Amino acid sequence: MPTQILVVDDEPDLQLMISQKFRKQVREQVLHFEYAISGVEALQKLQSHGEVDVVLTDINMPEMDGLTLLAKINEQYPLVKSVIVSAYGDMSNIRTALNRGAYDFVTKPIDFDNLEITLNKTMQAALTHRQAVRDHDQLLALQQELEVARKIQQSIVPRKFPPFPERREFEIHAEMIPARDVGGDFYDFFLIDDNRLGFVIGDVSGKGVPAALFMAVSKTLLKATALKGLPPEECLQQVNRILHLESVAAMFVTIFYGILNTRTGEVEYANGGHNPPYLLRVGGHIEALAGTGGLVLGAMRNTTYQAKKITLQAGDGIFLYTDGVTEAVDEQNEQFTETRLEESLQRSADAFLPHVVRNTIDAVQKFSNGAPQADDITLLALKYLG
Amino acid sequence: MEITQTQHDDLLVVHLNGRLDAHTAKIFEDRLLLLIAQGRQKILVDFSKLDYISSAGLRVLLLAARKLSEAGGKIALCCLKPMIKTVFDIAGFSAIFPIFSTFEEGQAVFGVVTAPHTHN
Repeated sequence: MPTQILVVDDEPDLQLMISQKFRKQVREQVLHFEYAISGVEALQKLQSHGEVDVVLTDINMPEMDGLTLLAKINEQYPLVKSVIVSAYGDMSNIRTALNRGAYDFVTKPIDFDNLEITLNKTMQAALTHRQAVRDHDQLLALQQELEVARKIQQSIVPRKFPPFPERREFEIHAEMIPARDVGGDFYDFFLIDDNRLGFVIGDVSGKGVPAALFMAVSKTLLKATALKGLPPEECLQQVNRILHLESVAAMFVTIFYGILNTRTGEVEYANGGHNPPYLLRVGGHIEALAGTGGLVLGAMRNTTYQAKKITLQAGDGIFLYTDGVTEAVDEQNEQFTETRLEESLQRSADAFLPHVVRNTIDAVQKFSNGAPQADDITLLALKYLG
Repeated sequence: MEITQTQHDDLLVVHLNGRLDAHTAKIFEDRLLLLIAQGRQKILVDFSKLDYISSAGLRVLLLAARKLSEAGGKIALCCLKPMIKTVFDIAGFSAIFPIFSTFEEGQAVFGVVTAPHTHN
């Protein structure tokens, strides 16, 4: 598309000279000129020709002079660059014009080589400015997209604590701190019936809106399947088959799913590729929960899962986390690691459950010491009270 | 992250150097998908100089394995550092990818038995 220049002058000679001087560029459709004979007509043309890049205007004109026109352009069409034509030595008008946002000026009698240089420079500035605005808009759109991802993630996990204040046999607490780019972490918990509490933690591969959407699908599917009362390994098997169909570009999700029997303290669990949770024994002993060796969900259609059982004594707890915790880095790119996580858990093992979660986050953030958080940090802690 | 390639008969070896995270995974994905689109059927990924892999990196490997299997090809991995092997073990990927501890074993599975390899 040719660069559009609007020439505003009440005398016809400028129009005549321009159409001669630039006839080659007009023929080759590099430039397109529009003409107006007053400020009023210029504003009409600006409105009807949306794509004007540069305005070349005289100062002295009937109806509306060039300086008034400049002020209006500056206000209404901030992307349009203006060049004014003034009498030689008329410094006061030139100064006023520049103050009102004119990009440059030429003086009468017009030297056409000089005019060409000035117009080229001004067009370049106009195009650069437009490009900058486009880039800025794209950046804003990207940020809004990340905001959408964050909202999906934040709105889908339960955030009311304690979630079951009437239940005396267990406590549960969770916290999630999304990364700037939003990973696909989630957690969930729900009562399957009076005596069974389901609890879940998961992490989707990748980041941004695709990860957030896959996370939302995974979490909803898992809960819907779990509420049928299926044992954990069958639940993961069913969810995997459906997720495999939904998995665009080989997206997958790690999911740990456990069921606590609130009468007996027995926990049945299956693990689809997630970091093994910790068992927090009453008295402060910490151990990793025995693995079940399952594949992440969504990767292969016919994946089977194994379940394991463990019995919690009154005061025992289970601590689940995502790799955003252990892979959090400090300024030297050193990772937080399981070792530091275990040390932190050891220090707060007997604390009030929300404090166990909070203390761990504090330990990670203290370790990171301001280094950017690359991945979501998600923690879920559960305690059996008997 | 740095990605280089070497050729051993019809086997293409992709050498990874650095960190394969959410940002660098895209470069790795574009490279692998291009190679597969060009008709490469045998790809060995050399992990000997890779220090970190995130789930985004695992996803790219899974995607490449799917595409290759559709095209009748095969991907294998070799020389994983212990920390990276742990990531594969936890995710269950050790069970679905052919993983070899040495480069020579990795080559052998594609029927390439040759003298020591050279990096470019």
